[in-house]
Amino acid sequence: MWGIFLESVVIFKNYMGFHQHRYLAFLYLGILLYLWFAEKDRHRRAVFVYAPTLLLVMFFCPLFRKLFVRLLDDSETYYRLLWLLQMSLVSAYGVIRLCAAHRRIGTALACLLILFGGDYVYDSEHISKAENAYHLPQETVDIAEMIEPPEGRITALVPADLIYYIRQYSSNIELPYGREMLISRWAYHHPMYEAMEEAEVIETETFVELAREYPCAYIILKEDRETTEPLTAYGYEVYGQVDEFVIYRDLETGME
Amino acid sequence: MIQIAGILFWLVIIPFCIGLLPAGFMPEDERKPGIVLLAGYFTMWAVFGLVTIPVVVFVRYDNFILASRCFMALAILGAAAGVWLTYRRRRFGRLREWMSFADCIREMSVAERIEWLLFLLLLGFQLYKAVAYASFDGDDAYYVAASLIAQQADTMYTILPLTGRHTGLDIRHALAVFPMWIAFVAQKSHIHATILSHTIMPLVLIPLTYLVYYEIGRILFGRPDRPAKSERSGENLPLFMILMAVFQIFGNVSIYTNETFFLTRTWQGKAVAGSLVIPALLWLFLLLYSGRKKGAAAERAGIWLLLVCVNITAGICSSIAVFLVSILMAVAAFCLAIVERDYKVLFKMGAACIPNAFYVLTYLIVGYGYLFKQ
Repeated sequence: MWGIFLESVVIFKNYMGFHQHRYLAFLYLGILLYLWFAEKDRHRRAVFVYAPTLLLVMFFCPLFRKLFVRLLDDSETYYRLLWLLQMSLVSAYGVIRLCAAHRRIGTALACLLILFGGDYVYDSEHISKAENAYHLPQETVDIAEMIEPPEGRITALVPADLIYYIRQYSSNIELPYGREMLISRWAYHHPMYEAMEEAEVIETETFVELAREYPCAYIILKEDRETTEPLTAYGYEVYGQVDEFVIYRDLETGME
Repeated sequence: MIQIAGILFWLVIIPFCIGLLPAGFMPEDERKPGIVLLAGYFTMWAVFGLVTIPVVVFVRYDNFILASRCFMALAILGAAAGVWLTYRRRRFGRLREWMSFADCIREMSVAERIEWLLFLLLLGFQLYKAVAYASFDGDDAYYVAASLIAQQADTMYTILPLTGRHTGLDIRHALAVFPMWIAFVAQKSHIHATILSHTIMPLVLIPLTYLVYYEIGRILFGRPDRPAKSERSGENLPLFMILMAVFQIFGNVSIYTNETFFLTRTWQGKAVAGSLVIPALLWLFLLLYSGRKKGAAAERAGIWLLLVCVNITAGICSSIAVFLVSILMAVAAFCLAIVERDYKVLFKMGAACIPNAFYVLTYLIVGYGYLFKQ
């Protein structure tokens, strides 16, 4: 039980960003404590004080965590229980109550606290200037437009960089494997993925054999990806190039 | 042009007209346009869930065609019924406040106007970022591709979004049909589901979320009938909204917070659950038990109906969200029953959770039913 409790503590700390020295949680906890003493309206106490406190107690309760994980068959999503606290709502309400006499100065100070205790969401490495209305990398759109069949479906083998995106552009392009291969903790194995991504140098003969099992009409490789022999020696033609990606078409299975 | 008309029709007109239906059963001072729109969205999503989930479970081929036809018919009927009911009862009531919006601004002090302007700038900034910047999230390879498959192949959850191979029913994802609603809007408005998800949905879902925060703030602070300088004078509302907006922008303390989900994966069901559905429940708790017991029981029926719809909406957003909102409902019911000294609160709130029980039952039967077969 102690171990389960400690797991919950780690999840809480990770959620609140303590390991990255983010201390917005203290604003919330301080406000919650303040509301325990200051909030007189019984209904608001129920919604903004009692319920969040009870939820926090439940979150750290080992028995509750055991039950939650058993029911959902998933321990990775336990942090979502903290969504129920609605930290921003409770904090904003409490700040305005607390600073009733000097509400503008209080709000400005609270904004500064949020600014320094929090983290600017648009600084994230996952956010970048959109290249098109799809919000997909432009090379994905260009490649997909080149290989997408006018009707029916084809299978294409694409590098890891494109796996997330290509089927967001067209559902007519199938893949031998998908995003599941890129999440190491899911521990999937796939011979085609191993031949394509894990081999230091692509062993062309076995690689082509595997690709034709699907059959992959197109193979897309980065131009600096090393192969023991060129794909063109095995019945492929260079169909085109988009930035660093070279598109090979299988003359045996590729569509005209 | 047809795309813009489609978007306006399915994301503004239809939800608003559907919202007139539950709004007709709400106290008159709650029958404001913003509340009507929110009520419309939650009712529409609930209807979508009630139509689509059985189709996903029982129909295998061309199931998206069947679900979208049924939903389209019900949505249009619901919208027409909402307009008819409002017209028949002459219950436009506070809807006329649209017209007095200019008066409302005129009555504000200069400082208040500046505060509202500041909030609108923060909101506009978030909308600009949502449209002009792309946010990468690996889960899109599943959710957005699932919407696209439904739009392009007319089928739901029979093709694995990650690869395109045929698959059996993955119950954990299949009951959370929010991506199918996006596919429906995409198909009807002739817009690629990925563009709709990434570029257009944030323009709808972000303001809708702030509308919920606004309604919460209105209950907490926005009482224009109260004397000025008091807590509820209404002057605090723009400050509350500013704080909420700043919190969303700087709430990215980890990748797990609902604030991070809200602005980086706005179009995903789980983000909607965390930032829209859960706050909506708090809003309804306050609306039902905020001590302002206005209106007869019949007039409050609309709020209870909305509570049921929000619970169903949680189910279409994510299967885990059903468990989360059920926990919140139970905890809130317990706390409210204590402060109200009325055990009936537990039964009422429990009744609003009945759809969640059916959802979980379906989840267990479809997901684990094989265990009982020979």
